Amino acid sequence: MIGFGQKGWGPALLEGAVMTLLVSLAGLLVGAALGSLVAWAKLSGHKIAAAVGDTYAAIFRGVPELLVVYFVYFGSSALLTGAANLVGVEGFVGVPSFAAGALAVGVISGAYQAEVYRGAYLAIARGELEAARSVGMSNMLMFRRVIAPQVMRFAVPGLGNLWQVALKDSSLIAVTGLSELMRVSQVAAGSTRQPFVFYLAGGVLYLVLTTLSNRVFDAAEVRATRGLRRIGT
Amino acid sequence: MDPVFIASTFWRLLGALPLTLEVWALSIFFGGFIAMGVTWMRVSGSKPLELLARGYIFVFRGSPLLVQLFVIYYGLSSFPFIRHSFLWPFLRDAFSCAVLSLALCTGAYTSEIFRGALAAVPHGQIEAARACGMSRFALFRRVIIPIALRQALPAYSTEVISMTKATALVSLVTLWDMMSVALKIRNDTLVTYTPLLVAGAIYFVVNFIIARVFMTLEYHLSPHLRRRAG
Amino acid sequence: MTETQPSAITVANMHKRFGKLEVLKGVSLTAKDGDVISILGSSGSGKSTLLRCINLLETPDDGVVTVAGETIRMRKRRDGTAEPADHKQVDRIRSQLGMVFQNFNLWSHMTVLENLIEAPVHVQKRPRAECIDEAHALLKKVGIGDKADYYPAHMSGGQQQRAAIARALAMRPKVMLFDEPTSALDPELVGEVLRVMRALAEEGRTMLVVTHEMSFARDVSSRVMFLHKGLVEAEGPPAQLFNGEATERFRQFISGQAQKAD
Repeated sequence: MIGFGQKGWGPALLEGAVMTLLVSLAGLLVGAALGSLVAWAKLSGHKIAAAVGDTYAAIFRGVPELLVVYFVYFGSSALLTGAANLVGVEGFVGVPSFAAGALAVGVISGAYQAEVYRGAYLAIARGELEAARSVGMSNMLMFRRVIAPQVMRFAVPGLGNLWQVALKDSSLIAVTGLSELMRVSQVAAGSTRQPFVFYLAGGVLYLVLTTLSNRVFDAAEVRATRGLRRIGT
Repeated sequence: MDPVFIASTFWRLLGALPLTLEVWALSIFFGGFIAMGVTWMRVSGSKPLELLARGYIFVFRGSPLLVQLFVIYYGLSSFPFIRHSFLWPFLRDAFSCAVLSLALCTGAYTSEIFRGALAAVPHGQIEAARACGMSRFALFRRVIIPIALRQALPAYSTEVISMTKATALVSLVTLWDMMSVALKIRNDTLVTYTPLLVAGAIYFVVNFIIARVFMTLEYHLSPHLRRRAG
Repeated sequence: MTETQPSAITVANMHKRFGKLEVLKGVSLTAKDGDVISILGSSGSGKSTLLRCINLLETPDDGVVTVAGETIRMRKRRDGTAEPADHKQVDRIRSQLGMVFQNFNLWSHMTVLENLIEAPVHVQKRPRAECIDEAHALLKKVGIGDKADYYPAHMSGGQQQRAAIARALAMRPKVMLFDEPTSALDPELVGEVLRVMRALAEEGRTMLVVTHEMSFARDVSSRVMFLHKGLVEAEGPPAQLFNGEATERFRQFISGQAQKAD
């Protein structure tokens, strides 16, 4: 029952786990960029920008993640193929699955990260911004020295949660063929005809990743909220 | 963008909607009961039950749904003793496996929602009920459940919407839901965007309706949280 | 004075510890019908705990509580801690005691009227129509007759506390327990609640009041009990404690309270 073929597949699974971490991280960063943009749009007060931001968030919260993965992967490949054909390159040009996967995860994550950043910004005491203005800080300086650091502080708990979500969403990128953890488990399961062992192994590795992530984020939260009065202390 | 093609795609996808909704409804239904049981175990005060519940929640919230689905559908069927057991007719069927897997997954998330809602019932109001001589059963029924229910609604609506999105994964275990049909159309016609966009639109509308239903429910159950009229 | 009539409440030698900390070290109290007993003391003196042990919101480690002649039966668990022997008896006795909390604790999902009829209908099993009529009368009595359909969140603190008092009255209690009823109120709202409590006292209700309001203790109560570190430091008619032979500690306590009020 416990396949000894494990010896052959162990390293591959671990590499898959690393790939999962990398693609999730890339996705989270894409999401951070998109999320901050949307948060800014909503906070700016510009009706149109806010509407665009709201629409983006609504769409990517309302459609299945798997569908987004397919759409980004097939869609961007189709775009690239079309562009390549225009310049005379024949045949199908595929977008690298890492890029497509990270983009898909990122675009979904951004929809949720927007709310985290918006909430974090609103949590900054108005008085601190007034104090910054009254000492003559420029907008740029105020953003760099007062707003951004505080937003990051308040956003840590929400981001910790969204990171976990990104890790789990990344398993869907398997459908693009990227050799992240899910895909490696799948290949191993098929090759050794021992699906239970390898899907379970994959699951265990995901649990390890999420547990480690929790530790890291708990520590980050402690550090980020030093100086803030926490409930219960 | 050929309107005829869009229309035919739409109708074909709509034909798969019932399956999607069936998986969704059954998963939520059973997941709700699982969640109630797990929450009860969590707050029961019995250490072993509590640990069991926490372990279950840890596993099903910490790993991707896709892995869970594959373990149940592909993994369990590889055991001879399962193939020969009375469970086999159930476990060989992709639909049952899918519902089982989704129910277990949502059960874990939902039980955390329930637990948070119970903890959010103001302790003072519980004491006031006890001080009146309310029996534990009446206390639960008249004070704790109504307040906890209202607390849970927002988070629960998010979970229900997550479940509609999660049903798309059953396309990967041979079920012909909307996702599968959309991909088939793409494969057959080589049209990339339209099938996926139309499918996305249908999912979106379904989720929109669900969100609205919950908002209405929340509104009607919370006159005490709104501004007083007049 | 009829000594043969059972007291409304008797507490004999009550002990309570939280972990290592012994909060009540043997407190006894007797209240006859119509007595209004103010229980004073600094924080940590055990006064709230005493009240909460009477209706078993906290379980006393030792001591006997008797309400209207009925003694609450206790028994020891396997690990030595005490627990009530009969939960039904506890529920029944609780329904004869009306408790008013510092934080009002009205049920937020019910209107004021629903708050008032909840226990009479569902615990005391009285007919609904009768409870509703009585509730309206009680609300008028405490001065919020027009707020029957309001939710607690839409009322001021003083109004909520008066509603809470009405809710306790709706159960036709033998004894009313007040746990710092005005401590959570803004100063301007304290008066309206004290007025209601004073009216109840003048009606002849039996009341145990844990409070910091010296004026109430001095002017309205029939007896004052001063707790210090879990023991009864002084007890007697208000005149005796406030003007005459008070102990040093009590005098320090009062002057401390007076300073706070300034």
